Amino acid sequence: MSAEQLRKDDARERLRRVLFLVPYAVRHPGIAVRELAERCGATEAQLLEDLDFLLSVGCPPFAPDDFLDLYVERDRVYVALHQSFTRPPRFTESEAAALAAAVKALGGEGKDRVLEALRQAVPRERRKGYDELAKRIYAGSPPARGSVMDRLSRAIAGRRAVRLRHFSAARAEEKERVVHPYTLARRFGHWYLFGHDQARGRELPFRLDRIRDCAVLDETFEPPPPAALARARLFSEPHGHAIRLQLSRVAAAWALARPARLRVVEGEGGTGPVVVEVEGADAEWATRFALSFGGEAEVLSPVEARRHFQEAVERALARYQRG
Amino acid sequence: MQKAQRLLDLAALLLRAAEPVSWRDIQEQFPEDYGGSEEAAIRKFERDKAELLELGIPVRWLQGDEDLPAGYLIDKDEFYLPDLKLPPEDLALLYLSGSAALAGGDFPYARDLAHALEKLSFAARSPGASEAAGLAARSLSRGDEEGRAEVPAMLEELSRAIAAQKRVHLVYAGAERSETTEREVDPYGLYQSGGSWFLCGHCHLRRAVRTFHLARIRGIEMNRAQPRSRDFEVPADFSVADLATREAWEYEVHPAQAARVRLEGPVSIEDRASFGPRAAIREEEGGAVVELTVTNGEALLRHVLALGDRAELLAPAKLRRRARTILSALARRRA
Repeated sequence: MSAEQLRKDDARERLRRVLFLVPYAVRHPGIAVRELAERCGATEAQLLEDLDFLLSVGCPPFAPDDFLDLYVERDRVYVALHQSFTRPPRFTESEAAALAAAVKALGGEGKDRVLEALRQAVPRERRKGYDELAKRIYAGSPPARGSVMDRLSRAIAGRRAVRLRHFSAARAEEKERVVHPYTLARRFGHWYLFGHDQARGRELPFRLDRIRDCAVLDETFEPPPPAALARARLFSEPHGHAIRLQLSRVAAAWALARPARLRVVEGEGGTGPVVVEVEGADAEWATRFALSFGGEAEVLSPVEARRHFQEAVERALARYQRG
Repeated sequence: MQKAQRLLDLAALLLRAAEPVSWRDIQEQFPEDYGGSEEAAIRKFERDKAELLELGIPVRWLQGDEDLPAGYLIDKDEFYLPDLKLPPEDLALLYLSGSAALAGGDFPYARDLAHALEKLSFAARSPGASEAAGLAARSLSRGDEEGRAEVPAMLEELSRAIAAQKRVHLVYAGAERSETTEREVDPYGLYQSGGSWFLCGHCHLRRAVRTFHLARIRGIEMNRAQPRSRDFEVPADFSVADLATREAWEYEVHPAQAARVRLEGPVSIEDRASFGPRAAIREEEGGAVVELTVTNGEALLRHVLALGDRAELLAPAKLRRRARTILSALARRRA
């Protein structure tokens, strides 16, 4: 991207930021600089620059009362004059289209109502553009009704606790856990639930394909404080040994294009098979992954993962030998 | 005066004005910005209006009548983000969907999505807890940056190109070859499948609609000439969703064949759904049988193998034999 393009982007981003931060500060008088920066997705330094910039904004004839007046006192932001910027502007077509794509991918009963409300929140002149753009992004099919994902989205929306039967790859055991579900996230091809594990007393990620069962409980919970969420991370250090797989060259090219965290350890640039390593995976995932390459991949190590793969192959083979 | 400042000043003026502001008045208030030749000044003002609209701020021209002079204004109802008037559960769904997409760290229009989530707190009377999901998402999307910068950057460039309908130049690596090809593509849309993002569009090299795996795009450049004019039109009958919801076994590789797969019970909702909306599923003692039409048998075979001993290919016979051959070969490798 050219330097000129970057400058233009920065200016536009600043405009979008200030159109949000002024009304937000009006609504939350005395909000801490840090919290306001967090809300705007900016650094504190950026926010202070934005506030400086705003001091020069006003409307003609530019008498003292015609300027925006935001000031910081003891690390808190106050608005003296807001010049009618008391609510943010309507959604731009790309804002609404991105939200619409996300909503369509997660489904839910209220989907159509939500999509219509989004459309109405775009300026009338841009609704046609929004309709066009919304058709250009497809972020996935909604989860099947009654699936773990479907149940979790309902629980998150209703702030209801869930009881999970969850397989922990780190401990190689299945456990029941009661979790306050906060949000879902997809990373490296897997869906994760991020929430507060009651027994362990902290926020943790749970991979959805390791959740064997999920029951939505009647118990509701209060939203976590922003500070607890600021520390949210999906990954800690991977546990256990990395799993090694061997793939044909063709399969390796496909595998490396998938969003799994694979690292080539042998055979790069050669002509023979390729050995890859994946951190934080479990034997079941590795077996499925290898078998999805139709005989062009196998699990090599560690021993338990290799055994899991072999047993799965033998059990599947037994089915085909019957008929 | 800098443009960002001028745009905000203009918005403040038109937002606060009690009645439409005439072009003459605007020129007088911004003598440095809208001075010079009349034609150039009007063009500049029109560009500013377009930029304000892109930010979600509509500037309207009002014909004068007996009571009001002709001029420009920003109608507050048209400017302010309205209350979406959604029941709390719908609003929560909206927050969660947006948050989950943002937390993934790779979503088209990611910056717009982040802005939209912020604005949502104004679009509801009591957003309450839902904001928590948004905050968590922000934090999650920052975590673990290793090796992830490329796809989000590409998604951003493509998002722009798709919205502006501008052609892109791609350097693309073939799946099974190490060499790359360069081509011009009219980007029609983006879709996500199996956790990966794909671009689809008209490829000028192949002269047909093609899909491109983002992880295999080595370089991308959008045509930046004449940013406000479109390079192409998307054909009316083109649908990203149709392309995206095609299962791998529905790619056209060979003539259509009927296939049957047995699923061993208890069959999970996820396994059932993995065969897509066009599969017919018949309950059977101790499990279920999936019936579907395939034009790429190999892909179905791989899907079934990945389900392990929970699934078994029953037909076509040739594909079943191939499953057996593959599994036998893998079983023999144990030594």
